[in-house]
This record gives sequence, structure tokens and C-alpha cells, in this order.
Amino acid sequence: MMRGWGIRLVTYLGAILLAIFILAPLAWIFLSSVLPEASILSYPPDWFQYGLVDANYKYIFTGEVPHGALLTGELRTMISQEVRLVPRAVLNSFIVAFAVMVVNCLVGSLAAYPFARLRFAAKTPIFFFITMSRLIPTVALAIPYYLIVQRLDLLDTYWALITIYSVLTLPFTILILTLYFRGLPEEIEEAAQLDGCSPFQTLVRIVVPLALPSLIGTGLFAFMLSYSEFLFGLLITQSIKTRTLPVILATVSWNPDVTWGLTSASIAIGLIPTLLLVFPVWRYMVRGLVAGGVQ
Amino acid sequence: MAVRGGIKRRTGRGAFNAYLMIAPAVLLVAAFTLYPYIYAFWSSIRVMSPLLPPAFAGLKNYKAVITSIYFLRAVRHTLVFTAASVPITAVLGLLTASLLNRRFFGDALLKAMVLLPWAIPIAISGVVWRGFFNSGWGALNALLYMAGIIPKYIGWLTTPSLAMSVVITAQIWTQFPFAAVLILAAMQAISEELYEAAAIDGAGVLQRFFHVTLPGIRAMLAIVVIFETLMGLTTFDLTYALTGGGPGTATTLVSYYTWAESFKMLNFGNGSALAVILAVVSLAMILAILQFIPKGALIGGGER
Repeated sequence: MMRGWGIRLVTYLGAILLAIFILAPLAWIFLSSVLPEASILSYPPDWFQYGLVDANYKYIFTGEVPHGALLTGELRTMISQEVRLVPRAVLNSFIVAFAVMVVNCLVGSLAAYPFARLRFAAKTPIFFFITMSRLIPTVALAIPYYLIVQRLDLLDTYWALITIYSVLTLPFTILILTLYFRGLPEEIEEAAQLDGCSPFQTLVRIVVPLALPSLIGTGLFAFMLSYSEFLFGLLITQSIKTRTLPVILATVSWNPDVTWGLTSASIAIGLIPTLLLVFPVWRYMVRGLVAGGVQ
Repeated sequence: MAVRGGIKRRTGRGAFNAYLMIAPAVLLVAAFTLYPYIYAFWSSIRVMSPLLPPAFAGLKNYKAVITSIYFLRAVRHTLVFTAASVPITAVLGLLTASLLNRRFFGDALLKAMVLLPWAIPIAISGVVWRGFFNSGWGALNALLYMAGIIPKYIGWLTTPSLAMSVVITAQIWTQFPFAAVLILAAMQAISEELYEAAAIDGAGVLQRFFHVTLPGIRAMLAIVVIFETLMGLTTFDLTYALTGGGPGTATTLVSYYTWAESFKMLNFGNGSALAVILAVVSLAMILAILQFIPKGALIGGGER
């Protein structure tokens, strides 16, 4: 489209620099997760002198203690059981995030339809109250949330996490679904209304099937936000019964008995679900936002 | 917007249905927004400590917070952090969006790549960057050393001024993808005809950017800047995982300080006073965001 090789050169140069900035720290995670500790710590640095190993992954999944940790004396490397909790933490995060996704799809689409189509008093103030509530920093809510959960005797339960994450994600879901529903052709819904469908029936029979891809994308977005949440995970979870992945990884990374190789292997494991979800979320939600949200 | 057909005209029974449908969401959000704020405000004017009997404190907590040198230091760090990270995030987001708006070999791959930092939990990004910048064995030191650029390793995370730059870099990394997506959305909404008209008038690439693209995305750019400022002023996960507020207090930002005051020092009174201050500042920012959203852009029809 553009003329001149100068512009093309700038484009590719920019793309390469951007890719390096994005990938450099991640590349180090994946590389160091398969390097022996001695190579990582070598000075002057020589990363490939002892080849690649799978000891870190093996320890996390099977509990087989790496060779370095069995030695005695100066060569002994540190090890902690804590990293073995990572797979369970992934499961916890998954359960919570999936439940939040379901709540978002149900409660979110139910609320978004009236905002998109129906007429009722105080619509705009209520809409802004919901969507803007999420912009107030979560740290400001930390103490009251903690005390509420404590008083309800729900500390260290999935219920507490699911409820709080639903409250945190619903504003986004409602905002995005409202935009989607508005973009759907109105005529079919009008026909349904003339046939005597209530708004609820119209939503369930007409709107939801039409908007299903976007609904799934938005639900996945809520999934990702819950999967990533850190502050309330830190406060509410107290044992591996509910402890979520970001919380476990943050504590593992500060644990002096966990080598960097083990830390990076646990990060790599934790990143895989996120990486798999990026593409559907992009496809259904972000692309929809890009294409339809700003007419 | 023209009112077509019957849906919007119907009130009465329709309105009742509407309230019924939004009720679960509104009640859930309200219960977890209003009550906590009232509670936070109430605790902020009381003595709330595990060691002392509860009592009325008036504005004492606020006074204690505002006059503390640690708080003032955290405010200064937060301002430096935000003032540095927001403009760079916005500019990088703009450049990235311009790049993604073009066709070139591998553009789909780059699009997927740009989303990565956004998709990774921020607490994990903090750990990722800590490993990259580690003073003893981090990849950056090793690479710079191997390339012969530095004669000995640099204490990126152990030198206070450098540690702040590292936190800013990591913040930009986590934030620019979302900024880029929003700006890209605004760019793609600009009519192709405007570009063609400009090209016919003989406008070059830069002129087209400044006279067509930039005016077209100005509102979105403003939203991005305000949103990123809000994110900067309230950053918590990143500093927790990347530096733990250190070395010393060099990267302790207001959110981290609020958390530490509440849950490390267990001073809920001071913590609540801090939380109220944070909430008021954020509320001001939110009202500013609302000024930039065109009326009726988000919800159509009915009440305005």
C-alpha cells in the first residue's frame, strides 16, 4: 500500500524491536527452566555448558528430587516442596475462573439486554454505577472484603473467591455485552416481541444464540481476569485447598529454597493455560470490540 | 438515533421486566461496592488495631497517614512512576497500533505476540522480569556481558534508582498491549476515504498521520492516558512480585504501602484512611474519563 522501501524498512525494524521487547523476558523463563542450576549461575556466563535437563519439570510433576539437591556440601542446591503445589494451584485457579465465567455469562447477559434494548427509569446512572465501580482500586476494598469474608466464615473457600471475582468482572462483561447486543439487528427481536415474547424469552431464544460467539469470548475474558487476580487471592486463600496460581508463584519466587530453574519451570507450567486462551479471547472478544464497538 | 419499531416504546410491564433482569447484577455489585466503602470510611475514623480497644479517632488516622514520611515517600515514588510509565505506554501503544494497522509479512504473528504480556497475570509478569533483571544471574546482565557491553554485572534491582526504572519498564510491558488494542480500534474506525482524499491532495505518510489519524483517535488517546494513569496510581501486583517495594522503600508505591500498612502492620485504621484517599483520587479520575465518553455511546435508546 505504502510506497518506498524506507517505510517498509521502518515497519520491519519496528516489528522486530517490538517482538524482542515482548519475548526477551519470556524466552529467559523457558530457557532457564531446562538449564541445570550450575549453568544458570555460571560466571562468566556459559548457559549451554552442561546441556539441557528436564529435572525441574520432573520434580514438580513426579516429586523426583533433582540430582543437585541430593549432593552434600557446597554443591548442594536448595529445594522446597512448595513448587510441587503448582499443579494443584492451576486446578484451583481453573475451578474458580470457570465458575466466575459461568456466573458472568448468566448474570451478565441477563443484565446487558435491558441496558441495550429496554427503556426504564434511571438506566444511565445504574449503568455507569456498575461499569465504573470496577475502576476504583482494589486495594481500597481489601480490608472491608477481608472482614466481610471473615465474618461469613468463608475464608479459604472457593465461594469467597468466586463471589469477589464475579463482582470484579461483571462490570466489564456487562459493558461489553451491552455494546454487542446493541449491534445486533433489531428487526428479529421486534418480530419476536410482536409474537408475544417477553424480553426474557427474546433474550434466551433470539439474542443469546445470535451473540453466542461474543458471549463465549466475553466469558473467557472474565475467566482470564479471574485467573490473573492476585490481591484477593493473597488475602482470602490460606492453604493449598484454595490457593490460586498467581499467589503460589509469587510466594514460590520469594522462597529462598527454590532455585530459579524450578521457579521458571513452575511459571512455564502456569503460563500454558493463559497462552492457550489468548487466541480465542482475541478472536471473539477483542476483534469484536475492534470491529463493532466504535461505530 | 431514530426510534424504530415497538421495543423501546413499551414501558410499564417492560420496565418491570428490565429491573427484574438487571437485579442480580446490580444487587451483587452494589452489595460489594457500597457496603465496603461505608465500612472503609467508618474504619478510617476509628482506632482499629488488634492491640488497642476500638474507639472514635476522628481525623487522627488521616493526620497520621498524611504526615508520615513513608507515605510522602510512597506518593513521590508513585508520581515519578506514573509520570514516566504513562506517556511511554501511550506512545508505545500508538506506535504498536500503527504497526498492527498495516499489512506486512508476519503481521498476524505479531498481533498474537502483542497480546501475550496482557494475557499473563501481572503478579507472574513481576516474577518474570525479576528473573530477567536479576543482578547475579539474570539474562540481561549475562547477555550484555557476553556481548562485551558491560565489564561487570549491574545491580539492576539492588540500586534504588535503577530498580525504579526496572519497575517502570515492566509496567510498560504489561500495559501497552491493551492501550494498543484500544487505539487500533479507534484507528480502524477512521474512514478509508479520508486517507484517500488526503493522498490525492498530496499528503505524505507523516502528514496523513498528523492530519487524519491523530485527530481521529484523539478521544481514545485521552481515554487511554486517563485509564493508564489510574492503573499507574494503583499498581500493586507488579511491585509485590517484582521488588517487594525495595530495595529499602525505593519502589514502594501508594497501593503497596496501603497494603503493607493494613496487612503487615495490621493498622486497619490507617489502612482504611489510605484506602479512602485512594478511592477519592480514583473517583476524580473516573469522572474525568466520563467527560471523554460521548453521550449515548455506550447504551442506546430510552433514558439518557
